[in-house]
Amino acid sequence: MLRKMVVGLLGVLLLGTAAMAANEPVTIDFWHAMSSGHQPNLQKLATDFMAEYPYITVTLTYQGSYSALQGKINAAVAAGNLPTIAQVYENWVTPIESILYPIGPHMTMMEVGDIVDGLVPSNTYNGVLTTVPFNKSIMVLYYNADLVATPPTSWAEFFDLSKSLTADLNGDGTIERYGTAFRPAANPEQLLVYLDQAGGSILSADWSAVTINDAAGMAAIQFLGSLIPYAFVTADYMSDHMGKVAMFIDTSAGYNYNKTAATNAGYNLGVAMLPAGPATQSSMIQGTNLAVFDVPNQTQAQKDAAVLLARFLLRAENTVFWAMKSGYQPVTKSAYELQTWKDYVAANPYQQEMSAQMLLGFSQILHPNYGDMRSIIATKFDEIMRSATGALDGLNSMAEEIAPLLSE
Amino acid sequence: MRSRRSEISYAARQRAYRLLLYFLMFVGCAIMLLPFFWMLTTSLKTEAAAMRMPPQWFPPKFRWDNYAVAWSMAPFGRYFFNSFFVSITSTIGEVITTILAAYAFAKMRFFGKNVLFAILLGTLMIPGEMLLVPNYVTLARLGWLDHYEALIIPWMVSVFGIFLLRQFFRSIPDELWDAARIDGCPRGRYLWRVIVPLSKPAVLTVALFKFLGSWNAYQWVLMMTNTESMRTVPVGLATFSSDIGTAYHLLMAASVMAILPILILFFFTQKQFIQGIARTGIK
Repeated sequence: MLRKMVVGLLGVLLLGTAAMAANEPVTIDFWHAMSSGHQPNLQKLATDFMAEYPYITVTLTYQGSYSALQGKINAAVAAGNLPTIAQVYENWVTPIESILYPIGPHMTMMEVGDIVDGLVPSNTYNGVLTTVPFNKSIMVLYYNADLVATPPTSWAEFFDLSKSLTADLNGDGTIERYGTAFRPAANPEQLLVYLDQAGGSILSADWSAVTINDAAGMAAIQFLGSLIPYAFVTADYMSDHMGKVAMFIDTSAGYNYNKTAATNAGYNLGVAMLPAGPATQSSMIQGTNLAVFDVPNQTQAQKDAAVLLARFLLRAENTVFWAMKSGYQPVTKSAYELQTWKDYVAANPYQQEMSAQMLLGFSQILHPNYGDMRSIIATKFDEIMRSATGALDGLNSMAEEIAPLLSE
Repeated sequence: MRSRRSEISYAARQRAYRLLLYFLMFVGCAIMLLPFFWMLTTSLKTEAAAMRMPPQWFPPKFRWDNYAVAWSMAPFGRYFFNSFFVSITSTIGEVITTILAAYAFAKMRFFGKNVLFAILLGTLMIPGEMLLVPNYVTLARLGWLDHYEALIIPWMVSVFGIFLLRQFFRSIPDELWDAARIDGCPRGRYLWRVIVPLSKPAVLTVALFKFLGSWNAYQWVLMMTNTESMRTVPVGLATFSSDIGTAYHLLMAASVMAILPILILFFFTQKQFIQGIARTGIK
């Protein structure tokens, strides 16, 4: 009896100490790139989190555009003054993977298993879920619903429609309306979507070889090459050229801008899943993840608090709130089953397509040199779509330039 | 008779030439003013009207509330204070250091002067972006990040300003210094009482360039600060853009507010500014 009492007392003492330790005030700095429209919603989530964990203070720090945030993170790595947690793209942190504090091991199995499947590989380093998805969008097909009664469901249908919708409307010898459009220099992910749909990838699974110009890659680039006569090529936002394009692939996050631009251009905007390729109907997921930094200027209490914040943001109700307010997509499976989300989708039918596409999404590879590979792909893809290089020559040239990056 | 006719013809040619000149100046002026006009009209449009293609020159209805909305989307009051404080202090600092250095390079003799000046000019060849991370690390070690020191002190010296003033000071005759010495005037007094007043246009040009540069600084401020209370107007403007689009109507409203102080400053100093440009040969 005495022994039980002593053990019980010790247990209470330990729990009390732990509770006291857990309640030590702690402040975490969260660097983000969410512009003013998103900031009140992010602040609301942070405020809710602080209400639930009163001992934690979250300081949201806007660091400008994504490239400015990346520059600041790189500088902070050199200076040793990283924040506790930050929004990051995969290719920003793959070179500094060793200073990431893995979030996955501090999550329940249920939480880990709840993350949308396509988002897990791009957050997993050496088999450990290290970062977690935050603001994610998916590439979908936008179309002029006044011209396109039924959106295309296959590459062949997409080609036929692109061809038939391209028109010299006033007979002056120049095309006024294009069937489709590409932003190759700004959005090389458009190529990666076709590559994945053809069953291809930039690199082999073990990253030992460049496979972008294998049979699947050739099928993808040949299809894209066949669209050149019917494609408007630009580096601008698609919303800047809405009137002259009938269908285009763009991020779901741009819906509001595209919708406004379509209304201005005098037509109804439709949203659909991408036309399926020979292998899949997949699409590329874009957007950032959350990384906690394991660096000397961050205490264990700060890292623990940041992990709690990451888990809080993954909760179904929070990822749904963020999605509804920001235009990004929920990042957990349970979120898509939440009644709030279902009601939102019912009221906004385009979201049905985006949600369905999200569940068929794939993410970028985690190769440390992915950023450089993406630049090469963007340059060559742009040359191909502007007919400065032949499609197959351009693809082979891409592969040649990417190859040295495997060994660097 | 013939000479009268040729006089008339000469006068007509002169008038035609002047008309052509005025026309070209008008076109040039219109091209220069177009972005400002576009900024002003876009600032009064709705979001939809701002994105309309083809563009609308005038908004169908003036949306004056864009200014209030833009102002409320970020702490612009604080941003303006910081922009003024940082711009004014760094301008004063730069003018002082630049005058001293330019005088030394222009009028004093010392060992290695030309080599030192060449090295100084050589630093202009290094792109600022390359130095951003090393400077960040230096300021982090000094504990100046997110402090006014980081925004002001590194910008209190300008090699370009030194070069500009040196060229101007060199055009001032040395006989003035000889006369001053005979009258017992020390070098410091000669600099501030004779050289600087004679170089007012050039000094004002340096000051104006500095003020403009400091007022418009974006990347440096973003890198070196974290809290809203330390940030300046250009950083505030960036909050209207994201990776998926830009709220052009609000961005333009905030931009109009941001350029007003610069326009006012230019309005009061344009005479000296133009003189400085003309006399120092800057193009």
